[in-house]
Amino acid sequence: MDSGRDRLIEAGFWLGQEGKSREVLADSRTVSREVENPTFISKIRGDYGLIWAIGERRNKLPESSLAKMGERLSVAVQGFHPSSFLSEETARLRELTQGKKVISAVSGGVDSTVATLVAREALGDNLLPIMIDTGLLRSGEPEQVKERLSRSPTSLKIRLVHAGGKFLASVKGETTAEEKRKKFRETFYQILKEEAGREGCEYIVQGTIAPDWIETQGGIKTQHNILEQVGIDPATTYGFKIIEPLADLYKDQVRSLGRHLNLPRELSERQPFPGPGLLVRCIGNVTKEKVRVLKEATKTVEAGLSPFNYEQYFAAVIENRFAKDPSPKTVSETACEALGLPKSEVHVDIFEDRITGVKGDQRCYGLLAGVKLSEESSETYGWLQDRLRQLQTKIVEIFPDITRVALLVKERRGGGPLSILVRAVSTRDFMTAAVSPVPWKILKDISKQVLKEESVSRVYYDITPKPPGTIEFE
Amino acid sequence: MTTIPVVYVKGQYNHLIVRNLKELGVDSKLLPPSVPPEQIESMKPDALVMGGGPQSVRSPDKLTGELADAARLIRQVKLPMLCICVTHQLLATAFGGVTEAARKPEFGPVEISVIDEGRILAGLGPSFTAWESHNDEVVKIPQGFQSIARSINCSVEAMRHETRDIFGVQFHPEVSHTQKGMDLFRNFLHIVEEHKRT
Repeated sequence: MDSGRDRLIEAGFWLGQEGKSREVLADSRTVSREVENPTFISKIRGDYGLIWAIGERRNKLPESSLAKMGERLSVAVQGFHPSSFLSEETARLRELTQGKKVISAVSGGVDSTVATLVAREALGDNLLPIMIDTGLLRSGEPEQVKERLSRSPTSLKIRLVHAGGKFLASVKGETTAEEKRKKFRETFYQILKEEAGREGCEYIVQGTIAPDWIETQGGIKTQHNILEQVGIDPATTYGFKIIEPLADLYKDQVRSLGRHLNLPRELSERQPFPGPGLLVRCIGNVTKEKVRVLKEATKTVEAGLSPFNYEQYFAAVIENRFAKDPSPKTVSETACEALGLPKSEVHVDIFEDRITGVKGDQRCYGLLAGVKLSEESSETYGWLQDRLRQLQTKIVEIFPDITRVALLVKERRGGGPLSILVRAVSTRDFMTAAVSPVPWKILKDISKQVLKEESVSRVYYDITPKPPGTIEFE
Repeated sequence: MTTIPVVYVKGQYNHLIVRNLKELGVDSKLLPPSVPPEQIESMKPDALVMGGGPQSVRSPDKLTGELADAARLIRQVKLPMLCICVTHQLLATAFGGVTEAARKPEFGPVEISVIDEGRILAGLGPSFTAWESHNDEVVKIPQGFQSIARSINCSVEAMRHETRDIFGVQFHPEVSHTQKGMDLFRNFLHIVEEHKRT
């Protein structure tokens, strides 16, 4: 029989020493005890923290515990074994492409990186990785990704295609999320068509994973990389065929495959970033100014929240234009009731630009309620989680048109016309998400920094789980 | 090996059910509800799981094609069956119960109180947090069924047939945020194995 260690390696849970432990488990004794716990598997599935703890504490664990853990974890990942997945998928790719040249679209995220590595394993030098700079990536990101992936062990020679102007021009004047996403998709594939033509490629590899096609097919949102699943034939429309090595996998399985492929932790555990980039975090109309402000806020929020190991965290920007229906006063009354506060302590604004949500398996392009508590109450209520959860649930339940609720962290009177929304969630597979309890003080510090920007007057924290929200905003 | 296809009615989490069953060592894949019952029988499955979806079953004679097909499977296939979310509501109406717009729709985390664990909810009581996403709910349970779990807003969070191995749950055991969701699938597998032996 395999040793516990072998099983853990196969399952992709045997991590390097750099694995940082969260506060989930204090010591190796706790880990050993957890292994005996019948609900162990559901715990590790819900909590990457424990996996990291194993990374750090493993050397202190007796082999019997490791063996048991290995056994349970192999059960947990049954149906997905990175090594057998890899050999089957590479064989399929070789058969399919018959020694021809193939382009791979890389973004620097874990999905496209792992898809590219799987394809390279199969196709070797016939694989040509390219990265499209959409102008909607984070500051300095295209160059950093190109440089990082060129180094060992990935050693990918990526060609950068600069196309920032094209993407911004294509979404100019569009304010609704779906139209923006469709315009983005069209520009994205037109560029790939040019590149495929230039290289004489028949196939393009992309890092589509299960939630991408599930959400597009279900009409929740148009992912930029989904064509065939919604009835668009890329061969007739764009002249190339699409290969999606990871289409049946979820994010955690992709990461496990990445670890199996020896990706360094900073890449295999890299924070997800959506394909259309900041486009889907720039709510409503996209302007150069909004994108600029968002890039700055993104830096601040990522720096402030990265130590916490939330699965996803980011900033979004929205204009301070408000709707009158449903009446903010009525929503405010509901908020008071949920929080048990007098009317004088609570103020609600309903933002005019809509945000993507999902209610009862249906897309719901709804409104955002921004809740402001008086200074004193917000100090007390910052992270009274049950109360905030009630606040969010009540509002969404009573007002069908509202899908999101955010809490004001800090504002600057007389500031600019924009609000920044901060979001942080825990999620295993990006299909459901819980709001992360970011310490109130951290949120305040981040907001203070963000408010230094002239154009921003408010910073909110999104307190909506998925469902009824989605993880991103558009 | 145990074989349990998942009937795909276009819900976002249907594919996650397949993933969970595979993790438990079951041979599973998505199946469109339009597959004729005879073809399902020829696959020799041990049970069926039916997923959720965006449609409504409020008016039983105006079902979408998918739900009409799924209702036919519910009536004709004589195997252990677990119906989730919209197909839980469909199960109720197919057996003569009533589904209506929920007085209070539930999205995200909901506290579920177990009324009667039985075999399907074994180990899940007295209560647990499940994730939900529904605008409609079962308001009248069909004859021959029993409600076995409830929440503050919804009185039929789970039900079971009194004699056959048929179960419906309003919440989503397949999403990772539902506590003990995997335990529910494990319980269902035990029931399926017992059924195989008899």
